Amino acid sequence: MTSSSAASRKALSKIACNRLQKELVEWQVSPPAGFKHKPTDNLQRWVIEVNGAPGTLYANETYQLQVDFPEHYPMEAPQVIFLHPAPLHPHIYSNGHICLDILYDSWSPAMTVSSICISILSMLSSSTVKQRPEDNDRYVKNCRNGRSPKETRWWFHDDKV
Amino acid sequence: MAEEVLIEVEAVQAVYGDDCLVLDKYPPHLHVHIKPRTADVSSQQFVEAVIGIRAVSEYPDEPPHISIIDSKGLDEQRQKHLVTGIHNRACELSSCAMLVALCEEAVERLSSMNHPDGNCPLCLYPLVEEDADNKLPFMKLMSCFHCFHCECIIRWWNWLQTLKETDSTNISGATLHVSGEMENQKGMHGATQESVGTCPVCRKVFHAKDIDHVLALVGTHSQLRSEESDVSDDKRLLQSDSENIRRLKFEATLKLQQENSGLIEPKKNEVLLPGTFLPQPITHPSTVSDKETTEQQHADQVINAETSSGSPSDRPSSSKHRYSGMRKHQGRNSREQVKQWIRKENDSTN
Repeated sequence: MTSSSAASRKALSKIACNRLQKELVEWQVSPPAGFKHKPTDNLQRWVIEVNGAPGTLYANETYQLQVDFPEHYPMEAPQVIFLHPAPLHPHIYSNGHICLDILYDSWSPAMTVSSICISILSMLSSSTVKQRPEDNDRYVKNCRNGRSPKETRWWFHDDKV
Repeated sequence: MAEEVLIEVEAVQAVYGDDCLVLDKYPPHLHVHIKPRTADVSSQQFVEAVIGIRAVSEYPDEPPHISIIDSKGLDEQRQKHLVTGIHNRACELSSCAMLVALCEEAVERLSSMNHPDGNCPLCLYPLVEEDADNKLPFMKLMSCFHCFHCECIIRWWNWLQTLKETDSTNISGATLHVSGEMENQKGMHGATQESVGTCPVCRKVFHAKDIDHVLALVGTHSQLRSEESDVSDDKRLLQSDSENIRRLKFEATLKLQQENSGLIEPKKNEVLLPGTFLPQPITHPSTVSDKETTEQQHADQVINAETSSGSPSDRPSSSKHRYSGMRKHQGRNSREQVKQWIRKENDSTN
């Protein structure tokens, strides 16, 4: 699952490190409901377990998010993807890439891993149908050589889901 | 009785002018826009509130009802504290004319709470540290009152500008870009005014002028930073061409403002404390008084240097140098008969 761009990523800056340590501490004190951070010794890559919210299409299902932080986090958005198998959702591609504006164009450095998680869970919860995006095959084929979703020019088609 | 009350309402209007909205003259119902006392330096106002004062016909025997119509920078707890404070004052003053006094109480309370609350949204560390050693300067965006550490917001600003530059380079090609920069340098103001950023919290657009009041501070800090060997990434950003150009432009503007005596500085220290005094206005600046003022200033600096080196400060000396440079400019200003508050005591660089 290691994409080539993540492997070649530069180490975190000191500012990014401080901020992530702070986020981690705050996560440990009050994690967002439905999420579990899997402890590793790598501050730059977080793996987070997501539990589908009760009463939604994804209830009792568990998925894994992988969050990779760039050198200049939080100025730059982290790369967030679902590890295999990605949930069936009209905005989630089978390679785990997520079409969600705050992860790309609408990123703001005031957002945190915690707030991203909440957005993703809300996106899952509001889904009314379990299906892949229409252009899934074409998109996934295009990304075959391990391209990061951050290099994609995203079209945020609808805000209903 | 009613007439006295009407006079009172007029008094509030006279004191607060446009900040006072009279909804009803009798029984009085007012909305008063209250700001903390900061000598009208709005960049130093981190809180403000519109309070509603609604009296009944039994006023002043019955204290008026106090509510908060709108507020900025105040969380629930502080809002409550404000309302309770004013209400208690109203009870104390029962059966006296109290409208102006209540507004004054509000100003007093707000002034004592005039600091941002909580963490900096960018680094997640507290904006106001209890521990004096870790204190970092903070600021607010003038448009939306969201507060950040100066360093943090400037870092975001520079990041956005760098992104924009990279984008335009990608589109127009390197050669074109260079000539564009030359043009920018010609119009000193032009370039800075075009740049915009968005508030990380509410995405409200802000302009270079909205963070003007912290650029000077950050200038000092960036110097500090590059001397610390462990920070490499800011250093790169801060020493980038765009940043250097920006700094030059800023220095030029600063100089211009100082020459025209249009600079209020240092804003943070513009507080009246025991021991501050206004220098005697010099009606005809002769060479003698001229010299005196400069000497006075100089003596001031010496005291500053001594006291601050004695204090447990971990700041490298460069900031002091820079700072005393500013003080020298001030000296020049006071020669030009600009009244300025001078402090006898130690100036902390914060």
